Amino acid sequence: MAPKLPLHHPVEQSSTASAGGQAAAHPAPPRGLMRWLLTTNHKEIGSLYLIFSLTMFFIGGVFALVVRAELFQPGLQLVQPEFFNQMTTMHGLIMVFGAVMPAFVGLANWMVPLMIGAPDMALPRMNNFSFWLLPVAFTLLLSTLLMPGGGPNFGWTFYAPLSTTFAPPSTTFFILSLHIAGISSILGAINIIATILNLRAPGMRMMDMPLFVWTWLITAFLLIAVMPVLAGAVTMMLMDIHFGTSFFSAAGGGDPVLFQHIFWFFGHPEVYIMILPAFGIVSAIIPTFSRKRLFGYASMVYATASIAFLSLLSSGLTTCSPWACRWPASCSSCTPPC
Amino acid sequence: MVIGVVVFGVMFYSLFRFRHSKGAKAAHFHEHTLVEVIWTAIPLLILVAMAVPATATLKNMYDPSDADLDIMITGQQWRWRYEYLGEEVAFTSNLGTPRETIRGEGERGENYLLEVDEPLVLPVGRKVRFLITAEDVIHSWWVPDLAVKQDTIPGFVNENWVRINEPGIYRGQCAELCGMDHGFMPIVVQAMEGEEFDAWLAERKEASAQDASGVDREWSMDELMARGEQSYNAVCASCHQADGSGNPPAFPALAGNQALMDERERHIETVVNGVSGSAMPAFRNTLSPVEVAAVITYERNAWGNDTGDLVQPAEIAERLAE
Repeated sequence: MAPKLPLHHPVEQSSTASAGGQAAAHPAPPRGLMRWLLTTNHKEIGSLYLIFSLTMFFIGGVFALVVRAELFQPGLQLVQPEFFNQMTTMHGLIMVFGAVMPAFVGLANWMVPLMIGAPDMALPRMNNFSFWLLPVAFTLLLSTLLMPGGGPNFGWTFYAPLSTTFAPPSTTFFILSLHIAGISSILGAINIIATILNLRAPGMRMMDMPLFVWTWLITAFLLIAVMPVLAGAVTMMLMDIHFGTSFFSAAGGGDPVLFQHIFWFFGHPEVYIMILPAFGIVSAIIPTFSRKRLFGYASMVYATASIAFLSLLSSGLTTCSPWACRWPASCSSCTPPC
Repeated sequence: MVIGVVVFGVMFYSLFRFRHSKGAKAAHFHEHTLVEVIWTAIPLLILVAMAVPATATLKNMYDPSDADLDIMITGQQWRWRYEYLGEEVAFTSNLGTPRETIRGEGERGENYLLEVDEPLVLPVGRKVRFLITAEDVIHSWWVPDLAVKQDTIPGFVNENWVRINEPGIYRGQCAELCGMDHGFMPIVVQAMEGEEFDAWLAERKEASAQDASGVDREWSMDELMARGEQSYNAVCASCHQADGSGNPPAFPALAGNQALMDERERHIETVVNGVSGSAMPAFRNTLSPVEVAAVITYERNAWGNDTGDLVQPAEIAERLAE
């Protein structure tokens, strides 16, 4: 079976910050802010992801506290319904896209190269770029709270037409920020796949990889499959709001339920995007502390892959058939009837 | 609860009994294909076995045919409209809890936020078919005790049905986030014995016929203002506020609104047909001509908008007939 992992991490290969003395061949990293802005080191970027995630976790947590404080008693005490809805919406968006997803990318940045014996991530500069997109996306998202009419108030699932015809003007910025966060996720996923497939230590087969690496490999494929679908959904919202299309409006030949089908084609796999890396973490912690090997490693790998496949299928079963039928109806709302 | 006790019981016993400090040695078995196959196959078989009767029940649940009574339910921000199809009875059901109570002024009753001004009245023992749709955004008509929860989709009609066994009051709420006052559009169903229901329906038919005849006569300013204030507070105040101050930018102020005072024609058009692409709904199907005329008259003369304009129900009825 699997050869044992090396007892010592290849520290001298992967760290420039803490092992400065050994990295004499490299120029010293810039000091201060520029060091973090320009870093290509997987551990530093991993730390940035984790710190960003924790910050977002606290911000999203404060929004949840506002919600719970208002619900402490029946009736209106602290905030108005309009602001309450903004708090529930922002809490959901920030926790999903700003806290949970970046936390796992940060852990992947830290652990995957160490676990597979790689010197760094395969695409270090893209790694830096995909992190620094996130603060931009979430600054933009949070700034909508200060805009006239307030921020998104239609729930984190932003169902049309509440999120199109009846939404506040700041929805356009919400759409842009989801696009930027989505690009960040896709770039991160590409990087992780490239690292795992190309940079394993010589002799390490796929079935020798720790389960966390496996779960992240599968998660990365899920991300690449569904983030563009989410981008498509918000782009259709943008078109409906600003360019006179009627993808989600029955009055123009579209269908509000089309939005739900497209959204949940992203949303269902998203559940597994957020839980599979955690399965991988548990599968590393429990064997370590019970001092024995994981039971059924191969089955766990197959089960994880099956979950990912079924998650795409299960939304697909409810999605594809009406989706395929309704797509032409939505498109025809743009084109004049013959 | 029982499952929790068993699972955690075994877990904590194992953790304690076989702890490292007592020199426990872990067993090192780690693959067993037969076990993996068995514990995958058994749940699969259970699921398939459950799916067979469940599908039969679902087929019955989704069969609204042969109904004795058809009710059209229309969700709108933030109230329900009920139409007894073929009976010419229709009304709007608004939140019954006063705004002051929500703000904490005054005692909250037992049915706080679960009471309406006019409940949906249904007969006991008859199959009632619901045709469910929405005016603006997606709502969901949910009455747990009747086992009905159906999304209302603007532009599409969904079906559901119920046969109520016990007379009484059944309460529910909107179950799909539909904007600012999503929490303030409850559902109340009052179930009556068959004869009692028939009498109620006949009475309502009479009343709606009377209301229709009110369209033709000339209304005075005081009558229109009184009727208008009542309808405005029930229907318009949730967005435009009772004092007409609105909630800009989504819901413009009406008090002191110069465009509104100058353009009588556009004011009528806005209330009757709504504003496409905005949150302002069309009230042509929701309010009667008398109510539309009264609301417009009220908005043009209340809160210092003293235009002195009168809008007669007949004028609105004529416009609706076009």
